[in-house]
Amino acid sequence: MDAFFTKLATLGGPLLLGAGTTVAITISALVVAVVLGLAFALIRLLGIRPLNWLISAYVEAFRNTPVLAQVFIIYFSLPYLGVNINPFPAAVIGLGLNGGAMLTEVFRAGLNAIHFGQREAALSVGMTPWMSLRYIILPQTWRITLPPLGNYAIALLKDTAVVSAIAAPEIMFWARNLVTSTFETTFVYILAALLYFCLSFPLARLVDGFERRQRAWQ
Amino acid sequence: MIEDFKGFLAVYSDNWHDWGPQIYEAIWVTIQLTIASFALALVLGLLLALGKLSRIRALRAFCTAYIEVARGIPALAILFLLYFGLVPLGIVFDAFTAGAIGLGMSAAGYIAEVFRAGIQAIHKGQREAALAVGMTPMMTFRYIILPQALRIILPPMLNMVIILLKDTSICSLISTDELMLRSKDLAMMSFLPMHLFLLAGAIYFCLSWPLSLITRKVETMMQRGRRQTFGT
Repeated sequence: MDAFFTKLATLGGPLLLGAGTTVAITISALVVAVVLGLAFALIRLLGIRPLNWLISAYVEAFRNTPVLAQVFIIYFSLPYLGVNINPFPAAVIGLGLNGGAMLTEVFRAGLNAIHFGQREAALSVGMTPWMSLRYIILPQTWRITLPPLGNYAIALLKDTAVVSAIAAPEIMFWARNLVTSTFETTFVYILAALLYFCLSFPLARLVDGFERRQRAWQ
Repeated sequence: MIEDFKGFLAVYSDNWHDWGPQIYEAIWVTIQLTIASFALALVLGLLLALGKLSRIRALRAFCTAYIEVARGIPALAILFLLYFGLVPLGIVFDAFTAGAIGLGMSAAGYIAEVFRAGIQAIHKGQREAALAVGMTPMMTFRYIILPQALRIILPPMLNMVIILLKDTSICSLISTDELMLRSKDLAMMSFLPMHLFLLAGAIYFCLSWPLSLITRKVETMMQRGRRQTFGT
């Protein structure tokens, strides 16, 4: 039993360190994705054709290719263009761009769900377009998009595992390193899987809560 | 600028005699991996959904736990566990099998929820009414339950195929010789990572985009056929 705990302590430390990086990558990429997604969804509302085509092309390209390919293109191809990039920012940019495409669709659905009468009413009581967006449209959109946004965050957390392929020092990366140095294959990989579960399970319960609350509103 | 682009494309035509056959072969492995993992996920997912809805408490608890865990762990962690983690216990899979089983086990969690939603969405009055007008249970399932359940199940199912197709790329990390690994190997040999990873991305896009278009078409078709009924 003591041997088990010593093993847990020596192997758990690096993995916990990796978990910190996993969380940092998740949060950074989530911020990038939300900013991109919201910006593109709003630009789409302007109805400028060429811009809409560009945004559609971006969304389709990133939604129909594996995130691993996107991360590889960014990490291995940018140096070829003379830009050197570290694994961490490459991971954040890759996952963030991928998420931006997902969330453009999520925010678009959220914005479309709001009746245009809401905006007309806001403008007719004398709000500026910006005010109607800020105080009328976005708060309602937010409520609708929160559950899919939460689901995306969970998917993102799990997708961070693939950036171990470009040596970003997150959980899977540390797990692989520990395996090569200690040969505790089974133990380390089970521990890594458990760690992911401990991170994603509370998040999943939170999203369940959002969904239940939303159903209560309807 | 245009010259640059021409030079960029020339790299492909110069190397195609070498890359082409290998890439075709790898695409085929990717497709096989997608089909194998989806088939496994369908069977496992249906069993899990039925288990989660069953009256036997232990079975229900087990299936619920499986679904939660499968949805809470990255597919990559499952793949590593299957391919590397079971070796000390004497269980050895080849890379393709481990990839198909791992992706299938991971996707089964989602597919179970899709099946469950489809089954639960159908009001039990539908079944009772069908039996009351003299349909056999088999006919009820075939003509009443299935067409309605399919409408709910089909779009997310097609989406899952697209997700699986893209996720097969992570099997390259356990050395399944599919499109991503082959591209990476060729990139390392030729020192042309940008060309090969862009090519891989373009191929995934060509496989996945038609599926996306079909899924969207099916989604609108299903929506159109839908009528509001009471009570469900």
